[in-house]
Amino acid sequence: MPTISLRNVEKSYGNGALNAVSDLDLEIGDGEFMCLLGPSGCGKTTTLRMIAGLEHLSGGEIQVGSDKVDDVDAGIFVPPERRGMGLVFQSYALWPHLTIERNTDFGLRLRKVPKPEREARVTEVMQALGIEQYRDRYPSQLSGGQQQRVALARMLAVNPQVLLLDEPLSNLDARLRLEMRAELKRLHEAFKTTIVFVTHDQWEAMTLATTIAVMRDGRLQQVGTPNDIYDRPANRFVAEFVGNPPINLVEMSAAETSTLARALRPVLGERTDVGSVGIRPEALHLATTDAEVPTGAFHVRARISGVLPTGGSWIVEIAAGNDKLFAAAHEPPGFTAGDDVVVWAKPAALHLFNAAGDRLAGLASPDHARKN
Amino acid sequence: MSTPDAPAKPALAATPRQNEQMRSKGRSRSVWRLALRDPTTIIGILAAILFAYLIVVPVISMLSDAILVQFGEERRAHAAVGMPTLYYLTRTFSSAVSSDLFWQPLVHTLEVAAGAIILAVAIGGTMAWLLSRTNMLARRWLATALIVPYMLPAWTFALAWTTLFKNRTIGGQLGWLEAIGLSPPDWLAYGQVPITIIMALHYAPFVILLFGNALRRFDSQLEDSARVLGAGTTTVTTQIILPLMLPSLLSAIILIFAKSLGEFGVPYVLGLPVDFDVLSTSLYRNISSRHTGVAAVLAGSIMLIGILSMLVDARLVREARRFVTIGSKGSMNRLSALGPLRLPATGLAFLIFLLSVGLPLATLFLSTIMRQPANFSPDNFTLDFWIGHDLGTVALRTGILLSPDLWNAAWNSLWIVGTASVTSGILGLLVGYVVARTLLWPLAMFLRHVTFLPYLVPGIAFAAAYLSLFAVPRGPIPSLYGTAFILLLALVAEQMPYASRAGISAMMQLGKDPEEAAQIAGAGWLRRMLSIVIPIQKGSLSTGILMPFISGIKGLSLFVILAVPSTDVLTTYSLRLVDYHYTQAANAVVLIIAGLAYFGTLLAQKLTKTNLAEGLGG
Repeated sequence: MPTISLRNVEKSYGNGALNAVSDLDLEIGDGEFMCLLGPSGCGKTTTLRMIAGLEHLSGGEIQVGSDKVDDVDAGIFVPPERRGMGLVFQSYALWPHLTIERNTDFGLRLRKVPKPEREARVTEVMQALGIEQYRDRYPSQLSGGQQQRVALARMLAVNPQVLLLDEPLSNLDARLRLEMRAELKRLHEAFKTTIVFVTHDQWEAMTLATTIAVMRDGRLQQVGTPNDIYDRPANRFVAEFVGNPPINLVEMSAAETSTLARALRPVLGERTDVGSVGIRPEALHLATTDAEVPTGAFHVRARISGVLPTGGSWIVEIAAGNDKLFAAAHEPPGFTAGDDVVVWAKPAALHLFNAAGDRLAGLASPDHARKN
Repeated sequence: MSTPDAPAKPALAATPRQNEQMRSKGRSRSVWRLALRDPTTIIGILAAILFAYLIVVPVISMLSDAILVQFGEERRAHAAVGMPTLYYLTRTFSSAVSSDLFWQPLVHTLEVAAGAIILAVAIGGTMAWLLSRTNMLARRWLATALIVPYMLPAWTFALAWTTLFKNRTIGGQLGWLEAIGLSPPDWLAYGQVPITIIMALHYAPFVILLFGNALRRFDSQLEDSARVLGAGTTTVTTQIILPLMLPSLLSAIILIFAKSLGEFGVPYVLGLPVDFDVLSTSLYRNISSRHTGVAAVLAGSIMLIGILSMLVDARLVREARRFVTIGSKGSMNRLSALGPLRLPATGLAFLIFLLSVGLPLATLFLSTIMRQPANFSPDNFTLDFWIGHDLGTVALRTGILLSPDLWNAAWNSLWIVGTASVTSGILGLLVGYVVARTLLWPLAMFLRHVTFLPYLVPGIAFAAAYLSLFAVPRGPIPSLYGTAFILLLALVAEQMPYASRAGISAMMQLGKDPEEAAQIAGAGWLRRMLSIVIPIQKGSLSTGILMPFISGIKGLSLFVILAVPSTDVLTTYSLRLVDYHYTQAANAVVLIIAGLAYFGTLLAQKLTKTNLAEGLGG
């Protein structure tokens, strides 16, 4: 399986309009499950369509393996039908006038695969996806989840080098989504296909991807493993976009009015480059008195304003002066709304960002804090 | 199976079945008891009787004329008046004159329809594609401009055609080409060629709207999927796009066929001079020459063809529903870049607009302000035909705007069509109410179907049916022929399909909640109707009134059979002027109708915020 490289890829619609994709460099390795993650309109679908050849680049180049499929300067453009990729749409885009079988063998017929071979392959793929019994039905007679499988089968049948998936799970209900996620992961391992997956759902990205590329306004923000993205967000945007409940962000410039900023100042010590501080909800701990807080840890007196059980975990809403914080706990917090508490976090758990929002080196944790 | 249990089984099985029977008998009886207490049922039953009388009885009366000996034809039919006979059927289908009466007109009708369909699909299909899938210039403006022909009466174009191409074959003012010395041959001036071209231009908007809508809704991702799998442009077009577009295209084709079947004005104006008869004009000829029996056979035949084509259409719609695409945000539609063809394509679209709207209307208008045809010297221009006095003509010695006949016809158009539209609009809402609410499904079924029946019957056949029923006194009802009342009744019946469809869908969407809330608050049936149902439905009620009103104003085929000079409406008045060769006056009246229909449609669209495309199915 080839590596896909995007170099300086640009896409703009019309003159003067904002770029849909700007200066994108991305390497998608062999057998990787790459998620393009970002809010709607961030250019992730456009990127996918450019890889498929359904959109022309405005600048830059795309290389698949050793072949250039797109190079604006050299005037190279390989049309989608000759790229040997598979693409599954959010709406499935099954051909409503063809049976499930004809939908699935469409690509094989185009490749003039002899009938016995073709039927064997179709059966194999259909069995793998559990849709064999619907062979002779039409798409409108299937449920959303079944249609989804047909859309996948249709692309897998031709054994594509690369499988591109454009939000394929967003039209499914929660339960089916879970099933299909597991299915996709299984397929990725079984067929060893390189998969590029577009989603705006961070959960989906975290659970499926081997690599995540976070995009915003047509620009790449960060590429890394799911843990990288979560534990070491490259900037405030990534920190805020990934994580639920969302990360708590404290503006250090508001030290005059913000209780939290005042409480953070001594922890930061000499660090004057910090513009804002982010604390993940699960990094926040609750205590009854200052005495329980490890020395050197960030802490602040606050009051619980609400405890929201989410089934197996709890979200605690906390008011510290005018500021609001969310903490997440996997055990019952032992407090109720109205209780006065001390909220604390280890210094190493603080994400520091400069005024422009880029990640700064973190604080070292004092040894005795770690023991605690 | 162990034996002891076996005999017990049937007995056990019988008991629940008996119970079931008793229960269901009791249930249906209580449904009736409940239903009869409900004003909905009473209204429903009254409506059912009314529509049976207005729709079913005339059709049956007409059909029976086809097999009963008519007054004055005892000797030909060898039987007494009112006795059953096959005379009319044999005369129409297998006598020496059957070729002139039926077969020749049938062939003409089919030829014209086929020609019109091919041309309309070629023009409309191209325009639809240019409008909805390419980057042609001025698409927004053209999208409206190109469906204007549909808003104007078809025979507007027929009159424009004669104004241009009329030769010396018939009397009256010369056509422009003849006037400047070019004699157009008969085949170009009259008959099949012009009728086909005009119908094609008039019906091309159907294709633009129906096919264009389907193209617009077509999800580009269906195309993309095929391309990603390796399909080139040809494969994508033949295996993906065309099969999916076929149902909408066939639907448009059948609609055009059904409409051209009942089209009367165009073949009347252009076919008569060369004896080019189609079924509708043959029917008209037989009615005016009082051959009621043959007319009934002809009307029945037109009706049958109409019903058959609608059945085919219903089947196609069902087929098409089988592969409706399931909802998606991704119904994306990208435009193809035309490249160097962009300007020529735009030019072509404007040319079609000029040919189908600009040229005919300009010709008609110019003809009304020119004394001599095709003479463009300044002293030949005059407003006399609009507002002049003491013109040197036998009758109609004033400009058309000063003629009391015009205002009389305009007033008739307005009040007859207006009253009929309001009546059918309200009846449609009532039908909708009953269908949506009644507990008696046979009543709902009957109302649904009976109000839809006129849709299957071309206007001219329907008018023949009315003539057959109401031309003579029947029981307490005096002969209505010659009164405005027969026009009114026929128009109400003719409009019921649209009105009831609008009413039913509006009431189905409304649901019971608002009314039940009022009921719980203590409102009786009448109060609920007046202060809840009608106010909520006033939007759909106004659509249900306005759209039929506009089509009624430009309608001809129903009136041409039922109107007499004293009950002339604008359309029949202009046709009478055509017959008397008052070319300028006739053209002026047609322009007035076209203006009314066009601005009425715009107004209706503005008021109801609807789009013509949605009202098109009818």
